[in-house]
This record gives sequence, structure tokens and C-alpha cells, in this order.
Amino acid sequence: MIAQLFLTVLLALVLVYAWSAHRTVPIIGLFASGAALAGLYFVWVPEHATELAAFAGIGRGSDLIVYTWVVISLLIMLHLHLKLRLQLDMITRLTRAVAIDRAKESRREAGRPRERRPVTLARKAEAPPIELQAKK
Amino acid sequence: MTGRIRNPWVVVAAYNEAPVVGSVVSGIRRAGYAVIVVDDGSADRTGDVALLAGGVVVRHPINLGQGAALQTGIDFALEQHADALVTFDADGQHSPAAIAALLAAIEQPGIDFALGSRFLAGATANLPVLRRILLGAAIRFTRASTGLPVTDTHNGLRAMTARGARAISLRQNRMAHASEILHQIAQSRLRFVEVPVNIEYSAYSLGKGQRITDALTILIDLFARRLYR
Repeated sequence: MIAQLFLTVLLALVLVYAWSAHRTVPIIGLFASGAALAGLYFVWVPEHATELAAFAGIGRGSDLIVYTWVVISLLIMLHLHLKLRLQLDMITRLTRAVAIDRAKESRREAGRPRERRPVTLARKAEAPPIELQAKK
Repeated sequence: MTGRIRNPWVVVAAYNEAPVVGSVVSGIRRAGYAVIVVDDGSADRTGDVALLAGGVVVRHPINLGQGAALQTGIDFALEQHADALVTFDADGQHSPAAIAALLAAIEQPGIDFALGSRFLAGATANLPVLRRILLGAAIRFTRASTGLPVTDTHNGLRAMTARGARAISLRQNRMAHASEILHQIAQSRLRFVEVPVNIEYSAYSLGKGQRITDALTILIDLFARRLYR
């Protein structure tokens, strides 16, 4: 009973994970949901797991549950791999924006005439006194 | 320029191509075209050499891959109001003389893409047998998956109108972009023609080129891309 409750909690978490994955990778969400629901069913109706295992030539029903868990783990790994690809997509877009902005900036700078400082050989003429009094 | 095309840009994606990119860029400049070189995070002086040779250089701070670099070049060219774009390899295996033929092809009304083909009438020099077999398999795969009756694939020499370029949005950062372009051409329903081009394989370009294991990576990339949005 304790194992059944423990597996139920874990498979419920997988269902939540599958729901969140469904938005970005629909196929993973679908397969993970299917595998988790099948797992839940076999945990609570192990006789059917045994029958199905015998039909599939696996042997025991508990082996079938272990295999289901392996399938879920592989799907989660695939999902993580695809998530990494999505992250790379974002990095690519960011890199591209930075590269293009920098190139445009350097083209603007290349096109702008350089400001030259006036070279003063002699002493600067004294600035006229600033009129501090407000004009009436 | 004569005809409809007034502002063509040539896009060159380059990664660690300092030994050859200078002559490639100066060759294109001598032929009379503006060049964008996307330095894809090179560790050598690729960007500086390209700049000295007369190219406009856009630098990726990190290496992303040829597909990503080409898309950056396309985006930048469109911002410069390019009305036609030509993609051109940085390793010196393409001839600047082919650019005029590709641009002439997209000047025809209704044509938005001109794809270079080394297997039409072009006399491709020094193509190794193994690569010829691999390309043959890739062509059959592309025909089956896109429905396009192409005679060549993974040829970096191609031209597109601004409308065609806007229909392309490469998300395959690495070598699979060449197949992705053909998929997107098929999906856009824009028209294309193939133009015979010569590819001059040198020891340098063969050394930088794709390996057989890359074909598997391309297939995995294409498959994985279909799994997520």
C-alpha cells in the first residue's frame, strides 16, 4: 500500500510535468501523459498489468511498471534536450541582435566626420566677462 | 545593375577563414557587389581581414554555426534595404562570376530564388567520389521530403529576392540550414530556378567541408526541429 501511494504521488507529478511540457513540446506532453496514466492504472490494478505483461511477453506485471517508468524517464530526457535547443534559439536571437546593433553602430561611426579640436598655438583670448545682471 | 535589382548584397558566413576570406571578399568587391561578412565568433583574424578587403563585418560574439550566421547576414542586408541577396561560401570554392548569373535568374518575373547547382551543366572540379555519393543520397532525401525537383542540395551558392529572403527564417543554426531553406521555399510556394555553377574544390575547402558523420547530425537536427515550436 505504501509503495502504491508513493508511486501514485510520483506519477501525479509526472502528469503535472507532462501538462507543462505540452505547451512547448506537444508530443512529449502527450506521450508522458499517456505513460503516466498507464502507470497509475497498473499501480492500482496490478492484475491487469500482469495480464498485459504476459500478453506482451514481458513476464511479471511489476516488470511492466518498471519498463513504463523507463519510458517516462527517456521522454523526460528528450524533453530536456529539446528545452536546451529552445534555449539555444533564444541565445541565437540575442547574439544576432547584439551583432547587428554593433555593426550598425560601427557603420554610423565610420560614416560620421571626425570632430577635430581646433589647435591653438597662441594663448587663448580672454573670455568676455559674463553678464550676471539680468537684463531689464 | 541593369533591370529590377538595384541594391544586391552578398552574404558570406565565415568561421576561422582568415587565410582565404580576404581574397574571397576582394573578388566579390571587384565584381561590383556589396558584401556582408558574418564573422561567426572566429578565434583568428577573419573579421579584420574581411574588413580590410572591403566587406561590411557583422561579428557574432560566440560561434553559433553557418545557418545562424547566414540568417544574421540576411537580416542585416534587409535592414540595408537590399532588394536581392546572394549567399556565398567563405572558403574560396565559389566563383564571383556566378553571382551575375544567379541575379539574372531572379530578375525574371515571378522568380524569387535561384539555387546554384553543381550537377546541371557546371563542371565541378575535384569532387571526391564519397562526397558525390553522399550528395546523391541527400538530393533524394530532399526531393522526397520537400517535393522540390532539385538537382543539388547543400550548395551554399544561392540568390533570393528581398521577398524571398523575408519568407526565410532559419532556425537550424548549423549545417541543416541548407535543407531547412529548401523546406521553407517549398512551404512559401515561391518559385525558384536552378542555375548551373562551378564549384572549385581545393584541399583547403575539402578540409573545411562536411564529413559523413555530419549527415547523421543533419538528420537528427531536422527531426528534432519538428518536435518543438
